[in-house]
Amino acid sequence: MRRHGHVLNGTMTALALTAVLYGPQAGAGEHVDWNDDGTVTLKLGPEYDDRRITVPQEQLGALFGPEEQPFEDVTISVTVNGAGPNGGISGPLYSFRPIWEELSGGKVEIVELPFAEHYTKMMLDLRNGTGQYDAFMVGAFWYGDIAPAGYGFEIGELMDSGDFPQWSYDVMPPSLKTLHHWGDAAYGVLNDADGQVLYYRRSVLEDPEHQAAFKAEYGYDMPVPPATWQQLLDISKYFNGKNWDEHDAEPDSGTVLHLKVGEQGHYHFQSLSASFVVNPGDAVDRTHNVYWFDPTDMTPLINGPGHVKALEFLQALHETGPAAQVGWSLGEAWDYFLRGKAVFVYSWGDVGALCQDESRSVVRGDCASAQLPGSDEYYDMTRKEFVAADPPNVVGNTTGGSWHGVVSNFSANPEAAYSFLALMAIEPVSKMMAMYGWDGVDPGFSYQFLEKDGGTAKVEDYVAAGWDAKDAEDYTHAYKELFYAPTSLTYLRIPGSFEYWDILDKNLSAAMSGSKTAQQALDDTAAAWEPVTKRIGRESQLKDYQEAIGYAP
Amino acid sequence: MRWTSRIRFLFLMPAVLWVLAFTVFPLGYSLYLSFVKIDQTTSVTRVKEPVLDEAGQPVLKSDGTPRTRNVVIKDQTNVTTFVGWNNFARMRSDPQLHEAIRVSLVFVFVAVPLELVLGFLLAVLFNRKLFGRPFFRTVMILPIFATPIAVAYSFFTIFYEEGGPLGWTGVPWLSDPGWALFSVILVDIWQWTPFCFLVFLAALQGVPDELIEAARIDGAGALDLLWRILLPVLQPTIVIVLLLRLAEALKLFDIPFAMTGGGPGVATQPYSLFAFRTGLRFFDLGYASAMAFVLLIVVSIVVTLFFRRLRQTYG
Amino acid sequence: MADPAETRAGGREPFTYALASLAAVLVAMIFFFPIYWSLSTSLRNPMDTFTVVGLGIPWIHFEPTLANWIEQAFTPETRQALANSTIIAGLASLLALALGTPAAYALARFRYRLVSGRDITIWFLSQRILPPVAVVIPFYLMMRAVGLLDTHLALILVNATFVLPFVVVIVRQTFLDLPVELEEQAMVDGCGHVSAFWRIALPLAAPSIAATGLIIFAFTWNEFIFALTIASKEAITVPVHMAGAIDTRGVQFWFMAVRAMIAMIPPVLIALIAQRYIVRGLTLGAVKG
Repeated sequence: MRRHGHVLNGTMTALALTAVLYGPQAGAGEHVDWNDDGTVTLKLGPEYDDRRITVPQEQLGALFGPEEQPFEDVTISVTVNGAGPNGGISGPLYSFRPIWEELSGGKVEIVELPFAEHYTKMMLDLRNGTGQYDAFMVGAFWYGDIAPAGYGFEIGELMDSGDFPQWSYDVMPPSLKTLHHWGDAAYGVLNDADGQVLYYRRSVLEDPEHQAAFKAEYGYDMPVPPATWQQLLDISKYFNGKNWDEHDAEPDSGTVLHLKVGEQGHYHFQSLSASFVVNPGDAVDRTHNVYWFDPTDMTPLINGPGHVKALEFLQALHETGPAAQVGWSLGEAWDYFLRGKAVFVYSWGDVGALCQDESRSVVRGDCASAQLPGSDEYYDMTRKEFVAADPPNVVGNTTGGSWHGVVSNFSANPEAAYSFLALMAIEPVSKMMAMYGWDGVDPGFSYQFLEKDGGTAKVEDYVAAGWDAKDAEDYTHAYKELFYAPTSLTYLRIPGSFEYWDILDKNLSAAMSGSKTAQQALDDTAAAWEPVTKRIGRESQLKDYQEAIGYAP
Repeated sequence: MRWTSRIRFLFLMPAVLWVLAFTVFPLGYSLYLSFVKIDQTTSVTRVKEPVLDEAGQPVLKSDGTPRTRNVVIKDQTNVTTFVGWNNFARMRSDPQLHEAIRVSLVFVFVAVPLELVLGFLLAVLFNRKLFGRPFFRTVMILPIFATPIAVAYSFFTIFYEEGGPLGWTGVPWLSDPGWALFSVILVDIWQWTPFCFLVFLAALQGVPDELIEAARIDGAGALDLLWRILLPVLQPTIVIVLLLRLAEALKLFDIPFAMTGGGPGVATQPYSLFAFRTGLRFFDLGYASAMAFVLLIVVSIVVTLFFRRLRQTYG
Repeated sequence: MADPAETRAGGREPFTYALASLAAVLVAMIFFFPIYWSLSTSLRNPMDTFTVVGLGIPWIHFEPTLANWIEQAFTPETRQALANSTIIAGLASLLALALGTPAAYALARFRYRLVSGRDITIWFLSQRILPPVAVVIPFYLMMRAVGLLDTHLALILVNATFVLPFVVVIVRQTFLDLPVELEEQAMVDGCGHVSAFWRIALPLAAPSIAATGLIIFAFTWNEFIFALTIASKEAITVPVHMAGAIDTRGVQFWFMAVRAMIAMIPPVLIALIAQRYIVRGLTLGAVKG
């Protein structure tokens, strides 16, 4: 990626030279062309393979025009998790900054903050009302701290005005759409869609020798992909410690996890435990479709038997991966899979796209995806006992940040900030971004799904972007299944979500590194959650929680 | 001496007032915060104002309408309620805090003595003619002044378990709770043993040769020499170094912040880091202030214990 | 300069000399290793970060490249952080010296009736021991109240406060070590108090004051917790910038190593310049190095 940077500079210089030699065409800018046929061409850099995106003028909204720079002299600043010009989520901001600046006449300041500090800096700015930042690329779990306090800028009117780049919430699955709203008010500008799916090495699992050996050892045919977590654990155990991948001479692993404390390790637990915990049912009531708290009194459910069993299961699964993964961030774990060292990883959409990047990955064409398995038993909260689930209890998830832009209510230029964010939310841009692995923008919207899954994308689009066709079909199908799953893990989005999760994260990390048992870690979590609820106010938390999960008292 | 009182105070007072203003006042404020709970409400109104050019005329857009900009009017009110000893009472039953206290204590009671002992041994060992002695001294100064955050990241690379330079040991430097704390201690030892060493070396060089020679002639062995001569003579220095190291060790923040993030779990989250996060990440200002205040009391006790010695040193 | 240690008994025996020297080289290597490793990492291709064997010596174990340096060292953010740190550390140090030197002089020369100078000195010293976390929240709220968040000024004020006691205690010691007779003579000759301080004592103490200035510059440069709290965009210092090398998806070791080197070089250079004063400085004048 770093070398890429130099190529980038070289190409930029070449482009600039070309421009000098041939001179500008009418309506042709450095980054935007206003074409005679009423379309506009946005010209991207080499990080997006110098792509040209041509859209009808109307799609950019009424404000932009060949003679119009509606935000002249306006500077907006946007915060984002620090990952650099070629990194996840922050990268696209760098790519679209020159385009927006040319369209608007404004300036964009990109403020990169370390993952662990982003929330803090954002909240400090909002609590103080300084308005130093105009927009934040937020994780959806921050909404509870932003929206009810009046810190977010409602974008509904701007969306409807027709003045700004045009996009719509209608392309989102309902589970993602709610993450961009608080109640009925719209805050989030479409960008990234997060949820965890399973990635596996197709050829390795399908290998007849391994199939036979597995059957001899475990007494059943190795299912590809595994339908239950329990099968996945068996398969992981079978492959762990064997050198089944010829890219190096070292033994390889089963499942690789990213468990570093203070980052995004707890999401593994959320996605996995959902199928041990969530009781399927038609409605949200006290015992069905709940995961975090008892929706009648905010008693934490996190140390219930289902959660504990799931954590014990995760501990066992951890044994089939490299021990050092306790300290790994996403990148280290993904690279381990991309280098062919693990047979499974379950994580975000980035992995599927990164598999296609042959400068990092040796598994292109062998990087299959599937919705996460279900559990063959779950804890029935009504009967207060574990019950067998056949078919397995498959639970969808939207775990992760679904990182996207929210405009600050203290911004002096909310229109400009929104305009920049909306430019990256229009269909052709969003569709393109999801196909690239490096940019961290993951698929989840209808135009990213294939036609056979009810979407509008064609597998050829993916192939043209460098994808292996089979990988792309699996991948988009897995995400379609995930986001439209009949039962889904509810997303915790109430005031203090980050603090609840931070407590959970620390305790999970303690359990995964062996300093606490699963029961102890989750009991401690529940105990530490109580004072948070008490401090913020049990009544208001209960109300927000009920609203967030759709529980009607 | 015939100094007039006006000048006596003019010289001294700015510094005293400055320190009072910027530490004693905040501490008082902090004490106040620890007894209250602050709730904030916010409302924002936005007014469109025409943009004026230098001549005071409205700037027009190409369609002839005036260009406008938003003026944000915000109204934030803080409601403060007195909560009594609540925040202090919470400290009694907060497992995270207890763990943080444990981490800090282990750190202080392992790292500080080790640094003193190691520094002392090195000083005794190298208090002699050496090849490249100035160079050696210079190298030993580097760790003390190296930016702690940068040091933490360097060690993060060194302790990296898959392929780091210490990876071959197979030790779970950062992934095992016990080892991780030990790793934090190691970094501190790396950074501060040289300090102890340099100070003790300087002090040793102040020990008159005659004293040692005389003891030698009396037939004192190496251990006798250490116990009967060196330790008593160096005692004032040791006490000062101990005080300074204790004080610094209680501040431990940068290294775990950057190297382990306090993890795995909360195994390397010391008191300072926990208090900081409570206050400035989760905005539980009252509780964080209460914690800060308790820490202050502990430090004051430590200083008081050393007070007599300090009076002798700065007499 | 005769080193008293060189005349010691142990120093004369060649065997002990060789053994001790060898041990010293080993110890020096251990203590230098982490800095060396950062340097080595900063010169590697990202791919080589964890695949290099042995001691990671450039040209022997890997082909060094300056690419990381070129990419990181000259970004606007790095330059801004360097400029901010220089301004903040420089002005905070000057401010602390300006406030602290007269106070130090007063404590060395004058007697106070209400509280003894010695106890005032110890009071200053105890401020140095104060844990920053104890005041970071109220200080943050104060700066917010006066609208100084994310400004150089706020960081200058707080850093000056934290190094001021250091200046007072050390420089006082310096003045105590100067012969008072010179100043008395000057006053007999008709100098006022202020000019005795200004024209006699200050020039004599100047080298030590300058060294103190350098040391507190390095302290301020390294300061993290306040910078992290106060700075959000405009006033980001080198250590805070450094902490940004952790990315959402993991650590960019190669950039981090460059930033670590950039962060460490100035204070380390300063320490080398002020070497002679380090021991005295770091023990707050209690031990004369």
